[in-house]
Amino acid sequence: MARSSTRLTVGTRRALWGWAFVVPALAFFGLFAFYPIVNAFVLSLHRKNVLSLQPPRFVGFQNYADLWNSAQFWNSWKATGIFTVSTAVPLVLVSLLLATLIVSRLRLQRFFQMALYTPAVIPGVVAAAIWLMLLDPRGIANQWVNFVLGVSGVDHKWLASPDMVRLSTVLVYFWGKLGFFTIIFIAGLGGIPTSVKEAARVDGATGWQLYRYITLPLLKPTTLLVSIMAMIFCMRTFSTQYLFTQSGAPREPINVVTLGIYTTAVRDYQIGLASAMSIVLLVVMFVLAFLQFRVSRTQDG
Amino acid sequence: MSRLRLTVLSFALIMSFSVALAQVQVEYWTHEDPNRTALEEELIAQFHAEHPDIIVTRVTHPSNTLAQLILTAFAANRGPDIFNMETFNEYPYIVNQRVVPVDPVAAGFGSYDAFYDAYLDGMLDPVTVDGVPYGIPLELTNWAIFLNMNVFRDAGLDPLTDYPKTWEEMMEIADQLTVRDGEIITRRGFDFRYPYYLNFMVPMAQQLGGQLIGDDGESAIVNDEAWLRVLEYFREWGPHGRNLGGPTYANARALFNFDNDDIGMMESGQYQIARIANDNPDFLPGEGWMVVPFPVWEDAVEDLAGAYYGHYWMVNAQSSADEQEAAWKFIGTMAQFAEEFFARAGLLQASQEVLDSDTFKNHPYSDVFMADLGRAPAIYYGDASPQIRQVLQDAVEAVMLQNREPAEVLITMREGVERALRGEY
Repeated sequence: MARSSTRLTVGTRRALWGWAFVVPALAFFGLFAFYPIVNAFVLSLHRKNVLSLQPPRFVGFQNYADLWNSAQFWNSWKATGIFTVSTAVPLVLVSLLLATLIVSRLRLQRFFQMALYTPAVIPGVVAAAIWLMLLDPRGIANQWVNFVLGVSGVDHKWLASPDMVRLSTVLVYFWGKLGFFTIIFIAGLGGIPTSVKEAARVDGATGWQLYRYITLPLLKPTTLLVSIMAMIFCMRTFSTQYLFTQSGAPREPINVVTLGIYTTAVRDYQIGLASAMSIVLLVVMFVLAFLQFRVSRTQDG
Repeated sequence: MSRLRLTVLSFALIMSFSVALAQVQVEYWTHEDPNRTALEEELIAQFHAEHPDIIVTRVTHPSNTLAQLILTAFAANRGPDIFNMETFNEYPYIVNQRVVPVDPVAAGFGSYDAFYDAYLDGMLDPVTVDGVPYGIPLELTNWAIFLNMNVFRDAGLDPLTDYPKTWEEMMEIADQLTVRDGEIITRRGFDFRYPYYLNFMVPMAQQLGGQLIGDDGESAIVNDEAWLRVLEYFREWGPHGRNLGGPTYANARALFNFDNDDIGMMESGQYQIARIANDNPDFLPGEGWMVVPFPVWEDAVEDLAGAYYGHYWMVNAQSSADEQEAAWKFIGTMAQFAEEFFARAGLLQASQEVLDSDTFKNHPYSDVFMADLGRAPAIYYGDASPQIRQVLQDAVEAVMLQNREPAEVLITMREGVERALRGEY
């Protein structure tokens, strides 16, 4: 009797094995992602000087109200918005184009993939440091642009002028992430069944029609993934802006939200306020990603 | 293995374990400085020999990241036992009770009176709160103007007589020394030491009667006329004015030592002399380079030099009592070698003993630095000094790089400093 009560059914045993495999990942996620988010939210309801040993003081949603009334915080969102739109949209379009070109080539596919992906393995700080040398007034960027334009001695103020410093951060980020998204598109293109394309060809579809009406619709899940990832990556950008401002570039045009979080916590010691900024950023990213999903589903419908 | 061997081995293991338990481990975080590193490593080895019960581990970080690393460590309650930073970064650690007062007995001074007597008057003020000192000077620095004599000669100027005495002359002479390829500067005549605005920008305004913080402690950027002159000067200096330099160009101080015809003058302290000798032994004082006083405005109302600031050794309040005592003992030992610090690393610990020494008197341009120190204001330090420095940086970038109107920037700057004083975002 006792033996039969402890015997597990096949379904239960499978479920237990399933849990056994999932629990480590859940624990990892809980510890390193969920807990910090909850902790940041709790901290965002407090005033806390990061240096002080005094316990945090509960202030409710006062930090959020302060952010709402802060011109600096709104300027950070403006900088983040400009950067995200200027970077994410070209990233999605150009990586799709490059992936299509690479897949259409019969030779040197691996070489192009590797060449494009190389910048993605370089840490952001190192990449920004390399670009700082290129964008120095006496660096290659001025020389190259002046050569192309057929002029001499023009300083394009890559790091000095507000518009140019925005463009420079976009360039650095675009260069660093292009290969990564191209590889994702290449994988997406490889997943499209050849039988569908062959059927379209048999029906007399031209190359453009094949791409427009077969490839692009079937690539939609990948495009959605890439666009959401590109948007989230861009909204989280930090190292390029940080290094540029440390090297004398004006802060205001590139004072993205993440840089604001950093300076609020590390320079101003206001960890509660910085946590509130992080939570706002998280919510905005979540809402935008959700909207993208909804728009995509509506289009499917 | 014989029984005897086993016994000996066990005894040795127990003894080494006991010694390890009896030792006090002290971690010391400091900024990179090759000349000082060599000296401190020797002193640490000597200290270990004299105090086998204390182990000091010295960890270096780049000077521009040290402050944030220390802050992060303290925020996590994992700060080093000993550290040093600039005065304006250290002060918040005192007011937040993250560091302990100097232990004059462990540090070898005997008493606070003896400790204060060992240093020049006022030199311990930045680390004294309610009459209690919280740090021992590692270095006390004021900046003067280093001048490349070869660049002057190349431009047809005599460095001994034509060097700039006023800020107005500084702009004119820098313009004469500057070489450009179109708009691109290939040699700067002079450039400021961005972003240390508390060190040079605040004294520039003070020379004209301006104040960073008003006498009431709440108002900021006092005397519009003085601050507008300074902001106008920076706008004129930058790419939208006479295009003489700016914060996006390579750090002038880092270029100067190599005498590569890319910088005529820059601001630095006495420690630069040891670094020049290290980087470029053929670049000699009095032949290749010289030092001249910090300029003043033609119509200055106060004769002030660049602000002096210090790096002070401090001890973590969360370290154990044993670690704190060991830390002060170690710091006190280092402070006894003040003359060595000056001779080998150019770091002035502002003790009377060093100032009276032949080493100091015979050091190149000590007279210029001392004369400037005599007319130097202390750098601003307070709870919000890092934030205030950022506000000044934003203001200079706005006029210099974004070509914004100084009058408009002045208002933003005042609001920013007053907000920082109130502890608001």
